[in-house]
Amino acid sequence: MKRLRLLRWSDTVLSPRTRPRTIISPQCQCRRWQSATHQPFLREAHSSKDVQGQVPDTLSEEHLLRLPSPPIQAASSSAKLAALHARLQLPSRLPLQVLARTLVDPSADPSPQFNNNPFSILGNDFLGYYTSEYIICRYPRLPLAVVFAAMYAYVGPKALAAITREWGVEAAAHPGGEVDPGYLQFRRVAPESDMGSKPSALISPMPDASSGWKRRGISSRTVHDDEFGDVRQSAKDKEASSTAIEGVTEEKASTNFVRALTGALYLHSGRAAVKSFFREHFMSRQLNIASLFNFRHPQRDLSRLCAREGFQSPVARIVSETGRKSRHPVFVIGVFSGHEKLGEGAGSSLDEARTCAAVAALKGWYLYSPTELRVPSEMEEPGARKWDRLLVDPGDIVV
Amino acid sequence: MPVQGIRTVATNQNGLGAFIVQCKRLDLHYCDWYGSSRGMNSFLTSELLPRLSRMHPQVSIHISPRPNKHPVLRAHYINGREKAVCVRNLEKEQIMQKCELLVQSQGGKNRKIRGRNVLSENESVRGIWSPFHGGIKDV
Repeated sequence: MKRLRLLRWSDTVLSPRTRPRTIISPQCQCRRWQSATHQPFLREAHSSKDVQGQVPDTLSEEHLLRLPSPPIQAASSSAKLAALHARLQLPSRLPLQVLARTLVDPSADPSPQFNNNPFSILGNDFLGYYTSEYIICRYPRLPLAVVFAAMYAYVGPKALAAITREWGVEAAAHPGGEVDPGYLQFRRVAPESDMGSKPSALISPMPDASSGWKRRGISSRTVHDDEFGDVRQSAKDKEASSTAIEGVTEEKASTNFVRALTGALYLHSGRAAVKSFFREHFMSRQLNIASLFNFRHPQRDLSRLCAREGFQSPVARIVSETGRKSRHPVFVIGVFSGHEKLGEGAGSSLDEARTCAAVAALKGWYLYSPTELRVPSEMEEPGARKWDRLLVDPGDIVV
Repeated sequence: MPVQGIRTVATNQNGLGAFIVQCKRLDLHYCDWYGSSRGMNSFLTSELLPRLSRMHPQVSIHISPRPNKHPVLRAHYINGREKAVCVRNLEKEQIMQKCELLVQSQGGKNRKIRGRNVLSENESVRGIWSPFHGGIKDV
């Protein structure tokens, strides 16, 4: 397989020094340098010529106040930024200037050459890909609604905002050129502005009445929705909302920052660094997948599942009981398919115990996990073993 | 309706993958005039301060005067709390120890470790004991 050419892919965001000299365009006459550059390339490219546009190392205060985000020179002298770089144990190949750029939200600096938007698009793809392949390979039989919930728990906006807080990143009160580049810079939402509807706490597989067009069900979400099962914003809506709303919430800005850092790490340090970064900072978080299920009719689901898989239809039988006529009866009920016990539950009434048993049986099926965990991205590493086929469930049951 | 997914957030386990040092900022306050600052002033001019910042690059160190007051170390933590230690009349080596103490602290309130149960997030290998299974005695 041909190796990926990082340098060619990332021309727009990498240092101009890595490009051949001939590509350097006359746009370097501009007063603001790209945040992603190591050194201002005015001096390098035009060292022989006389350049009137030489910008001094320290900019005047009124110049700083006019800039929407901190200038590139400020990054190397910021203690906060260097401390953040060391705290996250980022590789030294990721320069401080780029780290400073990942902290600039598009709401603070609309220019895509200076904000973190290009990085965050790339980083979002990496986070989504690595998380989804981990979840699907680890639990190949999870229903899609639970896969979406697990994705949300690992790399959803709330999780990324929590990660930003746990990394010790502070938000600036207002973005500007004079602000320390170690702060997260974004324009805040004006008070009492309409934030839209709150996302629901449950991911429902049924068609949503609020969405304008008819959606068939959960399977269409893999195509039409984003990685968390939410309706994807169309480009038109995005433009309308960006003109209508000036600022963003801290959660949104933090989300963009974490994604942008992942993307920048890939561009500067390569895939292996991103993968270990992902493993250490995201996969090390604790999530109990079994707690993400919300069953409405577990017994019906179980009988549908048994019918699909060709098992005998499930029958609930009392395994043991105590104190039926007392104030605290306890029933232990097992769900059997033929002679196989699928699950067992205990409860203070027969109905409760039977429901518990059906839930236990369903979770036993859905939470199957192969002993050896291999993910497709392992094959990108040199010297990887031959890929074996992976079991993935045919899909959700239809009720 | 088939199964629904519940939205939660995975919890942090600092140190299981990456370890984030919880101290993010250390303020050193000194006074040029007070005698209690003698150790602090010699600490600031000695090679101990560069050594401290080399050993802990993840902490930003801020030095500022605090005239006519005792010298103080103040550490700020990721959880939003701060801890202050008065270092009056201490030698520079003792101040270094205090700095180490603050930098390595978690930032929470001091709690007794003895007598607390150790709780694990992982399931036990043996499973949870159930009163309804195995060896039920008839009374």
